[in-house]
Amino acid sequence: MSKFDVINSYAPRIDCPDKATGKAIFTDDLSKPGMLYGAMLQSPHAHAKILSIDTSKAKALEGVKAVITSKETGSVKYGVSPARYDETMFATDKVRYVGDEIAAVAATSLEIALNAVALIQVEYEVLPAVLTVEDAMKEGAPQLHEAFTNNLCAEVHQEFGNVEEGFKQCDIIKTTTMKNKRQDGAFIEMQACIAEYDRRGTLTLTTSTQVPHYVQRTVAMVLGMDVGKVRVIKPYVGAGFGIKAAANHQELACCFLARMLKKPVKMNYTREQVFMYGRARHQFSHTITTGAKKDGTLVALKHECYLDGGAYTSFGIATVYYTGSLLAGPYKLPNMSYDGYRVYNNKPACGAQRGHGAVIARAVFEQQMDMIAEEIGMDPLELRIKNMMNTGDTTCNDLNMSSFGMSECIEAVRDGSGWDKKKGNMPKGKGIGMACGFFVSGAGFPIYRSDTFHGTVIVKLTEDGGTALVYTASAEIGQGSDTAFAMIVGEALGIPLENVRLASGDTDMGVDLGAYSSRQTLMTGHAAKEAGEHAKQQVLEVLAEQLDTPLEDMDIKNGCIEFKNQTPDFSALRTRYIKEHRGWTDNPESEKLTFKEASRIAFLEKGSIVGTGKYRPHWLGGKFKGAAVGTSPAYGCSAQVAEVTVDMETGQITIDNIVDAHDCGKAINRNSVEGQMQGSISMGIGETMHEEVIFNDKGQVLNSDLAEYKIVTAMDMPPVKAIVVESDEPNGPYGAKEVGEGAIMPTIPAILNAVYDATGVRMNELPLTPERVYTAIQAYKERSNA
Amino acid sequence: MKKIVTLTINKEHYEVAVEPNRTLADLLRYDLGLTGTKKGCDTGDCGACTVVLDGDVVNSCLVLALQADNTTIETIEGLSNEDGLHPLQEAFVEKGAIQCGFCTPGMIMSAKNLLDKNGNPSDTEIREGLSGNLCRCTGYTKIFEAVSSQCSDNQGGSNE
Amino acid sequence: MLLPKFEFYEPTSIQEAIDLKKKYRGKAKLMAGGTDLLVHLKKKLVTADHLISLAKIKELSQVQQAGDTLKIGTCVTMSQLSKSAVIQEKFGAIKTASDNLGTHLIRNRATLGGNVCNASPAGEALPSLIVYQAQVRLQGPEGKRKIPVESFFKGPGKTDIHEGEILVGFQLPLPEKNYGAHYLQLGKRKSSEINVVNVAAFVEINPADQTVKTARIALGSVAATPIRSFHAEDVLTNKAPGEAVFYEAGEAARHKDCQPIDDFRGTAAYRRAMIGVLTKRTLETACKLAMAQ
Repeated sequence: MSKFDVINSYAPRIDCPDKATGKAIFTDDLSKPGMLYGAMLQSPHAHAKILSIDTSKAKALEGVKAVITSKETGSVKYGVSPARYDETMFATDKVRYVGDEIAAVAATSLEIALNAVALIQVEYEVLPAVLTVEDAMKEGAPQLHEAFTNNLCAEVHQEFGNVEEGFKQCDIIKTTTMKNKRQDGAFIEMQACIAEYDRRGTLTLTTSTQVPHYVQRTVAMVLGMDVGKVRVIKPYVGAGFGIKAAANHQELACCFLARMLKKPVKMNYTREQVFMYGRARHQFSHTITTGAKKDGTLVALKHECYLDGGAYTSFGIATVYYTGSLLAGPYKLPNMSYDGYRVYNNKPACGAQRGHGAVIARAVFEQQMDMIAEEIGMDPLELRIKNMMNTGDTTCNDLNMSSFGMSECIEAVRDGSGWDKKKGNMPKGKGIGMACGFFVSGAGFPIYRSDTFHGTVIVKLTEDGGTALVYTASAEIGQGSDTAFAMIVGEALGIPLENVRLASGDTDMGVDLGAYSSRQTLMTGHAAKEAGEHAKQQVLEVLAEQLDTPLEDMDIKNGCIEFKNQTPDFSALRTRYIKEHRGWTDNPESEKLTFKEASRIAFLEKGSIVGTGKYRPHWLGGKFKGAAVGTSPAYGCSAQVAEVTVDMETGQITIDNIVDAHDCGKAINRNSVEGQMQGSISMGIGETMHEEVIFNDKGQVLNSDLAEYKIVTAMDMPPVKAIVVESDEPNGPYGAKEVGEGAIMPTIPAILNAVYDATGVRMNELPLTPERVYTAIQAYKERSNA
Repeated sequence: MKKIVTLTINKEHYEVAVEPNRTLADLLRYDLGLTGTKKGCDTGDCGACTVVLDGDVVNSCLVLALQADNTTIETIEGLSNEDGLHPLQEAFVEKGAIQCGFCTPGMIMSAKNLLDKNGNPSDTEIREGLSGNLCRCTGYTKIFEAVSSQCSDNQGGSNE
Repeated sequence: MLLPKFEFYEPTSIQEAIDLKKKYRGKAKLMAGGTDLLVHLKKKLVTADHLISLAKIKELSQVQQAGDTLKIGTCVTMSQLSKSAVIQEKFGAIKTASDNLGTHLIRNRATLGGNVCNASPAGEALPSLIVYQAQVRLQGPEGKRKIPVESFFKGPGKTDIHEGEILVGFQLPLPEKNYGAHYLQLGKRKSSEINVVNVAAFVEINPADQTVKTARIALGSVAATPIRSFHAEDVLTNKAPGEAVFYEAGEAARHKDCQPIDDFRGTAAYRRAMIGVLTKRTLETACKLAMAQ
């Protein structure tokens, strides 16, 4: 039995009746009176100088209201990390990838807007383009950004402990290389936005984003407006997975046009534009060396990685740090070095995607764990348990595991999968594999340097006392955060979920950094809890006075007032309440004093009862350069076992099932926790098996649709057993921490280890297309026969 | 040149003038305000715009509005009524089969059409019957649970 | 995404369609299910000022058995084929191909005529039509003609259709006894796939000695058009079916008959190798079915 009344249960989500009936409103479902339609001109070249832009024909087209280029908008630089603002709304002197934005049009219809875009004449001087990391780093290669020589966007060099000395103590040293392919978020809702500007100077942007707060700040900065004059509203969003975690060009252009024309403007990406915008998972090329003693003790890890960054930085600075920092756990590892390089080239920028920066590094390392286990004749599961960190441990790069149910997760998947019986006993062509992973529960610091609160929440009780209204600027993008916060407020106030109503995703409601780095449950959750408790405190204060009972002797639970000692006579209060509610049908009959009565009385005494809550993490991490990236108040952990069947003749892999156990601290809503686990696995399977953005030699995306960019379909998804493992996270609200990203960490290596078990082949390149697997099997056969 | 189409949507009669290049999806969404039908690609790859046209599910982004003349169409808005949600919608809510909700209307229309034609589909038939509706959030697991809970064999009992 | 402007016609007779096509010639496109054409129009890969839908011509949406032939109208959808009793019973390789085209949503609109007129080397239904010796029925201002589907394809997206002609349907001989057929395709995932290779095989067994009397094998995605694999067929003819023979046939198809290219879906080398495997596997099933009769 849970000690909680609202949270820690399996609750149907509050947003789902509207979503199930088609009533839930997404950005493109909206239209505004007098609305114009915008469209953008994007570069057809991967790299070119802009010699001239002639917009006269476009402007002359009937129905066109404005055509803007950098001449009109100026060239305020922006980006994600203030340390690396390298983008402008529109290209000024040159374009750096196919899709780089050049101009935008607003017109009375989309058709006219698109026709006008086609009439803009740009004279280009085409420059040689570099499309790979290797080409971009060659001597004399064409340079993308003057300030960054050799196309090196960012580099990281870190060493913790002494890696060289460490290797000297090792009996086994494994070096492997691996690369994945650039991914796409492939959320189903394409980015869309509507901007409006009122005559008092307020700009309102309704947009499909994960981060209203950062979009608000970027729009204000680029358009030269006060932050307070920019309001960003996020309606329901058709998911983001990291790609919608920063302002995009369309949002900026749309805002500019709306302010200029004083009319609402709507803009939508097509699916092709979603691919051109990119900002999803980088292509990583890793070389990792891991050393262990013959008893299996891990000693040292040396890691080098090149990130194929694309034309701009986006999240890249954070990415290149995350890639290194998150290998320091979950195993005890005293010595670790990392050299990371993020390289510019003439493709769309890469950014953050679920499991930011860390997914492929994890895939390499977890395979090496299996290689070491095999060499010393140890069960790979036991090797992991042997090296596992414990609650309270700190990694060599100062990440503290304040709760850590990793070993419990391993035991859960051992039992759940029948590991002990199956491992080593799979028939030919079938294999079983496992892996572990962990992830932050929110970044320890905001993206821009600031002491800002990471989240604020307001709880206001309705004047009748019956309902708690929750206002938060956090972003429900499908993960279930609205329900989680409503549950947390219900728990904190002591009232059932059905008496909580929540509004979110509006910068007017407060500050919230938004949905990224798996931060909301922990961070916004804290603020929601505090706001709920604050409101409760105020109700109880009034009650203490009215009933002449010490406040500490009272509590609210399940919508009723609980008295620690004898229940005082509250009949006067009840009578007052009933008088107040004359003609209403909700007169309380319970023997207990209800929250509703107490809350109504509190309103009559003090006016609006408003509880506020806020959260920012305590100072986290070490003192070295880049120490901030990877810090978090808490880390979620995950273990998975995958079973596969490999068709040895064609290389086709079928994933037969996956068992996943995740330590999410205390689960707020098990329904959503399981959903995040299953969803992470499906994305992990897609990345392992068939997802890759493919370019031709001109830098154009060849598969910019959901037919040729292959995400997992209903036919591909294996049965998944999701086991929720709970720990009590001291830094989390009610002990809660992340689940949204940690669950993708083990998926890729678990499958890779299972494929090895089935075939004897180690795959060093993703995705595992039948052809790639077939080729590897053929090469293996030739080696074995030689 | 615009032409008049007459069609029945969710049992209501409509008469609308449309351009030949208007798709059924755009007619529903932008002309008739039936925005429950979503567009996730506009090229027939994602299934978010799934509606039932004369008894069969189709990608409404690949049907011209003019082709819908004299047809009967069901959209997500037609499933629930004043008495509440359709049992299948209820199952999607209860089983946690919805996350971002963008694929949901199309997914539910496919699932409903599947169950209308075959009250007791096998697991494989459920997967095939949803194969054109992409979901990036849920990993489909809870969607399968929701749909199979509505199979006639599983009515009134628990599945699995 | 918007469709370009066009005028739309829904003729109710073949003659009316032919007249419209004649009137607008190259500026008109014929549309059956529209699942490819509308996408291509949206992506501006093709243009059309006039779009002529064949969907309202009733006779084009029918599957009809007449004596020892089967007629399939051009607008018959993949779903219709999958559900048709005669297809299920007599043309298993067409049923499998229709079951595997696109998604359940696409299959409700995509037509056999459309699949054939697109003339994609990877087209799902094409190898099966070839091994069943389907004839393409064409009708134009000059009259009607029939040609084997096998010689209808002239290259990727190119067919032997003449200006003004309409592909009105297909005619297939009903296979007699002692035959079996099968279709296999290989892609990267399990639904909504664009084939890396696909293979259909038809085998007739001589009941007297249980040897292969006739074999027809067609390969997709390994040449500019779907092609017959004559060398593989020769390997089988007059031989007793068995693993070794199937393998040998597969090797013949792989090394002698296919001419694949590299593209972003797969390399020529892999396609060749998979032609070997899929040929072997389709033959296994086709022979098993034939001998079970």
